[in-house]
Amino acid sequence: MDETLARKKVVRHPKKPKKQPITWSIIKSQNQLIWMSVPLLFYIILFAYVPVWGWTMAFQNYRPGRPFSEQKWVGFDQFKFLLTDDNFLRVLRNTLAMGLINMILGFVTAIVLALLLNEIRKVFWKRTVQTISYLPHFLSWIIVTGIVATSLSINDGIINIVLMKLHLIREPILWLSEGKYFWGIVGASHVWKEVGWNTIIYLAAIASIDPALYEAAEIDGANRYKKMAFVTLPGIKATIVILLIMSVGHVLEAGFEVQYLLGNGLVVDWSETIDIFVLKYGIAQGNYSLATAGGIFKTVVSITLLLLANWTAKRLGEERLL
Amino acid sequence: MGGKSKARFKLSLIALLALSFTLSGCGGNNKTNSESKGNTATATAAANSDSSKVEPFDISVFIGQAGQQPTPDNKIYKKIKDELGATFNYEYLAGDLNQKLGVMIAGQDYPDVMTGNTKLTAAGAYIPLEDLIEQHAPNLKAHYADYWNMMKDPNDGHIYILPNYGVYNGKVNSTYYSGPAFWIQKAILKEFGYPKVKTLDEYFDLIAKYKEKYPTIDGSPTIGFEILNNDWRNWGLFNAPQHLIGHPNDGGVVVKDGVAEIFADKDYAKQYYQKLNEANELGLIDKETFVQNYDQYMAKLSSGTVLGMFDQHWNFGAAEDSLKTQKKDERTYVGLPLVFDTNTKDYYRDLPVLNLNNGFGISVNAKDPVKIIKLLDALMAEDWQKTLAWGIQGEDYEVNEKGRFIRTQEQRDNAVDSTWILANKAKTIVDFAPKLEGSYSDGNSTGADSQIEEYQAGLKPYDKEILDAYGFNSYVDFFSEPPANPVYYPAWSIDLVEGSEAKVVNTKLNDLSTKFLPKAILAEPAEFDSAWSEYVAQIGKVNVKAYEDKINEQIKWRIDKWSK
Repeated sequence: MDETLARKKVVRHPKKPKKQPITWSIIKSQNQLIWMSVPLLFYIILFAYVPVWGWTMAFQNYRPGRPFSEQKWVGFDQFKFLLTDDNFLRVLRNTLAMGLINMILGFVTAIVLALLLNEIRKVFWKRTVQTISYLPHFLSWIIVTGIVATSLSINDGIINIVLMKLHLIREPILWLSEGKYFWGIVGASHVWKEVGWNTIIYLAAIASIDPALYEAAEIDGANRYKKMAFVTLPGIKATIVILLIMSVGHVLEAGFEVQYLLGNGLVVDWSETIDIFVLKYGIAQGNYSLATAGGIFKTVVSITLLLLANWTAKRLGEERLL
Repeated sequence: MGGKSKARFKLSLIALLALSFTLSGCGGNNKTNSESKGNTATATAAANSDSSKVEPFDISVFIGQAGQQPTPDNKIYKKIKDELGATFNYEYLAGDLNQKLGVMIAGQDYPDVMTGNTKLTAAGAYIPLEDLIEQHAPNLKAHYADYWNMMKDPNDGHIYILPNYGVYNGKVNSTYYSGPAFWIQKAILKEFGYPKVKTLDEYFDLIAKYKEKYPTIDGSPTIGFEILNNDWRNWGLFNAPQHLIGHPNDGGVVVKDGVAEIFADKDYAKQYYQKLNEANELGLIDKETFVQNYDQYMAKLSSGTVLGMFDQHWNFGAAEDSLKTQKKDERTYVGLPLVFDTNTKDYYRDLPVLNLNNGFGISVNAKDPVKIIKLLDALMAEDWQKTLAWGIQGEDYEVNEKGRFIRTQEQRDNAVDSTWILANKAKTIVDFAPKLEGSYSDGNSTGADSQIEEYQAGLKPYDKEILDAYGFNSYVDFFSEPPANPVYYPAWSIDLVEGSEAKVVNTKLNDLSTKFLPKAILAEPAEFDSAWSEYVAQIGKVNVKAYEDKINEQIKWRIDKWSK
């Protein structure tokens, strides 16, 4: 452990190691490292680059079981169908909205919970709270949606019972029948399921902050809130930014199971996401080309968003991914 | 020194163990080999029908439905293995069918046998069976003789799937109606003196009266009417209007004089949904009905608090079983063939049709299709059919002095016990393989359910009381005797062809109905008309003609090809 840390420091010292020209002698001296990376490289090529070949499907009228040469090429027809469909804008809006809600709620709650956990002095309580909060992460969505649907039911659903007992509502609300509640329900379910899990990385980041900083702040007369605001938060800022950039790329991954399982005819205008749309009009129709086109669309948007976020971070002088 | 010798000792122990495993493995093999050889001899001697040797072989089967694996020592499968050599390895559907099929098709990863699916057909996953049947399967050939043309795939004229239901032999007795109807709790009929309910209005009146009289059932609030519309189970919401005007189930269309048109936006559909709207205003419709999933729906039916719903009987059979186990027989349901007005003759019950695109097909990956078709052919022999449907004589059923098959009460109880079934019945074969339906050559029905003696002996006193009050033999008698099926019937089994515009339109129409019908039903009565016209306007935007044309084309095709 100590050894590796020490080594890291040594590596950091030369200012710009990348500029070193690649020579045969370097390659030779590092040949073990190069060989070690070959399987990984192979893995990435095989599973991340070779499948991109499948994108050709999006420009065909693909029929399974036929050789490639017999597929019919249709140019951008699939994209045209996708982008001109009446529902597509609505579906895109839902995906973006739920993706953003999930992202923002996820970040805020995870950071707040991490900060609060960090302030707990008794290790037993800290551990207990942490364990309980991250356990739902291990449930699959099908179970979580079952729990959500049952809690929101008007027959003995716990949410309605609590709200009635608190006299906040007069009669039970049929939560899943109102489009305006749907995004919130999805966001809240995500928070419930993932908040504990998401705090882990922040707690790790907090643990790596130099305790000397806290001592110095204390000597300067900082109270707990001030230490939180001026030591802890800046200390994990780099982690937050990196994670934020990474999750911006996933905004279109607003989810499929939750919306598919909780959605119904009454809330379909708010619940349908790109994934559901692609499933209905692509895969369920045997139209794999349309499904691929949907996938390409998502990938392109995601990469654009990722680069944009990265660029913004660079302009703001923050840590960045690329 | 001690450590070294210990290690050596361990090593030799491991070697010994490994050796013993290998040896015992060999021994086991020898044993099974000789055993199966012995069985081969007896089987060929006993059956004396098939000259080829019976070698043990495995068949991998994909079932496109959720199911449970039979126990390893299942009585019937053991008999099949002993006498015909076949061991079935089932893979039942877990999760979403389309997703699973997509993966299978993308990887060309097919087991030997798969249940019928149009997606798989379109992907060329099945092999044509005509020649195989002609050459190797005399029983199957005789069985399907009258239906041969119907079984051919409309796109290329080959037979890929062996329909599992709908081929009838001998007299067809029916005591169970599995199709669509408006269902009503038996308790309601009894409460109001066994009225003859013919129209939708009478039906909702009864439900309203009963709900008023009994606002709670067993402590839970009474639910008047349920409409299930969850994923592919959409008929609860979509299908009723066609029946109310006296048409049989044609799916999304009504066929008049050989011409199909959608009915979703027609006036009689409006009349039905308006009625639901009024019922909702009276508080008869479950508030959660459009939000619930299938499990929640079944839970409600199983609690006995739901007075009625529109559904197909097979879809909620499990809930009725549960009610029977709870001894709540009065909460089980009677199917009523309702119509708008008494001048219309009901046409819910239809003559059974060939269950196209369902049943077994042999995949392109099957190594030895001949073996499989011979096995299915062997199972079509009447003796095997009796074994599959009734079980083993003396164990699962008895034969009385008149030669009729009957069961003791214990055998009857066994037959509905799911744990018993897993160990003593080849349920998956009974469900999906080709089978005799109707009666055997000795006059017995091909299933205990349709054996009249069995049915009447198994009737609970409560049911007897109701049937006596109406003067019926079984609940099927609530329905009119069905006329002969039109040649093209039913339109719902028409394959719209993967990736065609008709199929996209069908999905769109379903999406629209799922979205707008609940809105219209839950709207204030004054706003129903505007909600309805919005729905109709949306349908107007969809290329309905492409959908109707495709169906009409297929109807014409069926009339051309299927007419004898």
